[in-house]
Amino acid sequence: MTRREPLRKAIEGLLDDVEGILALRRTSGHVAPHLFCDSGELDELAVSPKYPLPGTLRLIQAEHPEAQLAIVCRGCEERGLIEMAKRNQVNLDRVVVIGLACTAEEAEECRCAKPYPSVLVDAHVGERAEPVVDKLADELRQKDVSERFEFWRQQFDRCIKCYGCRNACPQCFCPECTLEEGLWVERGEVPPAYPTFHLIRAMHTVGKCVGCRECELSCPAGIPLTTLYALIRQEVREMFGYEPGADLEEQPPLVLPAEVES
Amino acid sequence: MVSVGQHENIEILSHSEVEEVGGHVGNFSVKVRKRARLVNEDLCTGCGLCQEKCPAKKIPSEFDDGLGTRTAIYMPFAQAIPRVPVIDRDNCRYFQSGKCGVCAKLCPRGAIDFEQEDQIVELQVGTILVTTGFDLFDCSRISQYGYGRWENVLSSLQLERLVDASGPTRGRIVTKDGQEPKGVAIVHCVGSRDKNYNRHCSRVCCMYSLKLAHLVKDGTDAEVYEFYIDMRTGGKGYEEFYERLQEEGVIFVRGRPAEVVPHEGRLLVKAEDANLGRLIQIPVDMVVLSAGLEPRRDAADVAHVFGLSRSADGFFLEKHPKLGPVETASNGVFIAGACQSPKDIPDTVAQAGAAAAGAMAMMDKGRVTLEPSVAQANIRLCSGCGECVVACPYSALTLVDGHVEVDETACKGCGVCVGHCRSKAITVLHFTDEQLLAEMEGALHALEVA
Amino acid sequence: MMDEPKIVAYACTYCSYPGADLAGTSRIRYSPNVNIIRVLCSGRVSPELILRTLREGADGVLVLGCHYGDCHFISGNHRTAKRVAVLQRILEYAGIDPERLRLEWVSASEGERFAKIVDEFTETIRQLEPMERVLA
Repeated sequence: MTRREPLRKAIEGLLDDVEGILALRRTSGHVAPHLFCDSGELDELAVSPKYPLPGTLRLIQAEHPEAQLAIVCRGCEERGLIEMAKRNQVNLDRVVVIGLACTAEEAEECRCAKPYPSVLVDAHVGERAEPVVDKLADELRQKDVSERFEFWRQQFDRCIKCYGCRNACPQCFCPECTLEEGLWVERGEVPPAYPTFHLIRAMHTVGKCVGCRECELSCPAGIPLTTLYALIRQEVREMFGYEPGADLEEQPPLVLPAEVES
Repeated sequence: MVSVGQHENIEILSHSEVEEVGGHVGNFSVKVRKRARLVNEDLCTGCGLCQEKCPAKKIPSEFDDGLGTRTAIYMPFAQAIPRVPVIDRDNCRYFQSGKCGVCAKLCPRGAIDFEQEDQIVELQVGTILVTTGFDLFDCSRISQYGYGRWENVLSSLQLERLVDASGPTRGRIVTKDGQEPKGVAIVHCVGSRDKNYNRHCSRVCCMYSLKLAHLVKDGTDAEVYEFYIDMRTGGKGYEEFYERLQEEGVIFVRGRPAEVVPHEGRLLVKAEDANLGRLIQIPVDMVVLSAGLEPRRDAADVAHVFGLSRSADGFFLEKHPKLGPVETASNGVFIAGACQSPKDIPDTVAQAGAAAAGAMAMMDKGRVTLEPSVAQANIRLCSGCGECVVACPYSALTLVDGHVEVDETACKGCGVCVGHCRSKAITVLHFTDEQLLAEMEGALHALEVA
Repeated sequence: MMDEPKIVAYACTYCSYPGADLAGTSRIRYSPNVNIIRVLCSGRVSPELILRTLREGADGVLVLGCHYGDCHFISGNHRTAKRVAVLQRILEYAGIDPERLRLEWVSASEGERFAKIVDEFTETIRQLEPMERVLA
């Protein structure tokens, strides 16, 4: 891959400054996250398929809060880091970010609106690709309420409550998940309780979801969760002018008082 | 009022306005702006020399509602406490032209201070009593009664000034040209019981109209007509007073006047006499409009400062119409008198006593019983995201060691944090999710729709 | 269409609940389909609570709070407004009629307004499918 070499060089350049660099490694035919501490390991460096690295960074920092680390970040991962940092889940002061831009194919697959980092760093590796329009989202916007009901009911009926979406999401860091709490979602039901399971999750993504699509990638039933959350994200943008991952200082909209014209 | 002024435990801040109230019961911090009256209260003895000598004499007096005049340096009324005048900058020659200053030159105590500035006073108090009173309905709004258009159409308050022996006419009830009227009409319910203006009954007008009728009868030979809808004389001795007025020969017409028009040098009151079922026109020389009581024009702002709600009629809202007439939803803030609803002096005194007793009971106890509904954190479930900290309107939450901590004295139990928390790591005692869900389930399953 | 909608209303202690009380003491008639649950502030109402209420079979959920500027808890109602607005959009995108969730401001002196809102909302919900069928 044309990005692998420049990425390798970027990582090598940092090895002396940080204790480890979080990136992807290919071993035994699989790609998984790895903390590279040694240039010898870099032969196994992989660039794709993508993985929610910010979630892993959070876990590492929880165990080693003092460690100086680096992380390879795509656009969505950068946005994820920003939202997590706002919520005290990662400490960006001890993190060096290596920016990675996604290819046009990757952007297309993810239906990504911004397939490159631009806030914490610019892309050190890779060329910026064009934003991609989510066609499914557009289709759904054209449908009326009962058509949408048919569509999503059919989707949600295939859910096997594996919690893959929740597990993969870098923004899901609650010590105990309300979706597993009998008070909110009946236990022992598959497909899970409608509409509480999916719409509680949808509500929880408000102001947090950065469109990284890891939920959809993990879903064994192939439910297009990213599209639902993208539709909601646009509403939040229109209502409050808030875009998750765009600004490190901006507070999430739901906790702020409204600007009221008297 | 004099005994209030002399009481060692009472400090009067006159010519002042409360700008801000912070804190909570037992610990209110109140910011008061003492506006500059341009006279030093500590030096002034109230001798009145400045008023005598002030050359700006023909200013319409607010207290006499335009019927009399005052000077630019003036005491609002003869019995004002504290007995210290105030300078009306807009009409004072010193401020208009830089010349004069007679009051400053003549004041034996040197109490005039043209440079005086507003002062901010910060008070720490435990309880607050709001007794800001009412405003009189503006009779010019009912143009068909001619207030402000024809001569000798007066408001009830203006007639009060005429009958006052120390008023602008020294107690003589006369028309504009100084003549005694031969006929006086008193019109009830002006701006009250009226869908177009105020729906409420102002409660005091029937009685004060009877009193004014009695004084006119006493002080002149005029024929007095009272135009009323109902006679509301329900207090102690009030019905007997009404009977007496009937015996004194006051003519009572049951019918709301439609119009007052000038006619051959007099005023014609056009009304229906509902008891006779006839339209009538009565010529008089003076029409007195019994204006109703309204909330003060700035009631909305005052309510906001003190955290008070208002009822539909705009008066301040009591905590409970039957069981809490002088308390408000804001613990430690009481209301009394006409600011809560139109009422007369005996009822105002009763409410004032009730409010004072309520405040005293609180202060005497020295301790406030807080609502038990406060937020409670479960740090095991808390991820330390800090969103609740921003959401709290009272800044009662902080992050300590990566988890939320509740300041129970600042927390008011609103539950905004609970409504927001995705992890359900915080709850409000007595309004927990289990409790609300149980209520909801009961509502949906146990109850039948009637 | 349904015969008798079942509606749950969450009303705040200082404004909308006394407003509802006033409708009662004034003997104003209004649809009996609404069951009121009191909370201290409308801000207490979480999206999870609203969704569970729908799941439990409520055909409609009414959230009642204080007018802007009047909230006893200063700005609790601001957060309520934002939350409900977003949840209504989520319901709409997921295919559940957002009209089932309504937010209204009712002050302590607005007994008539409370009754009017209850009547209107009941009629709106009556035109929809019973929630039981949506959940099936």
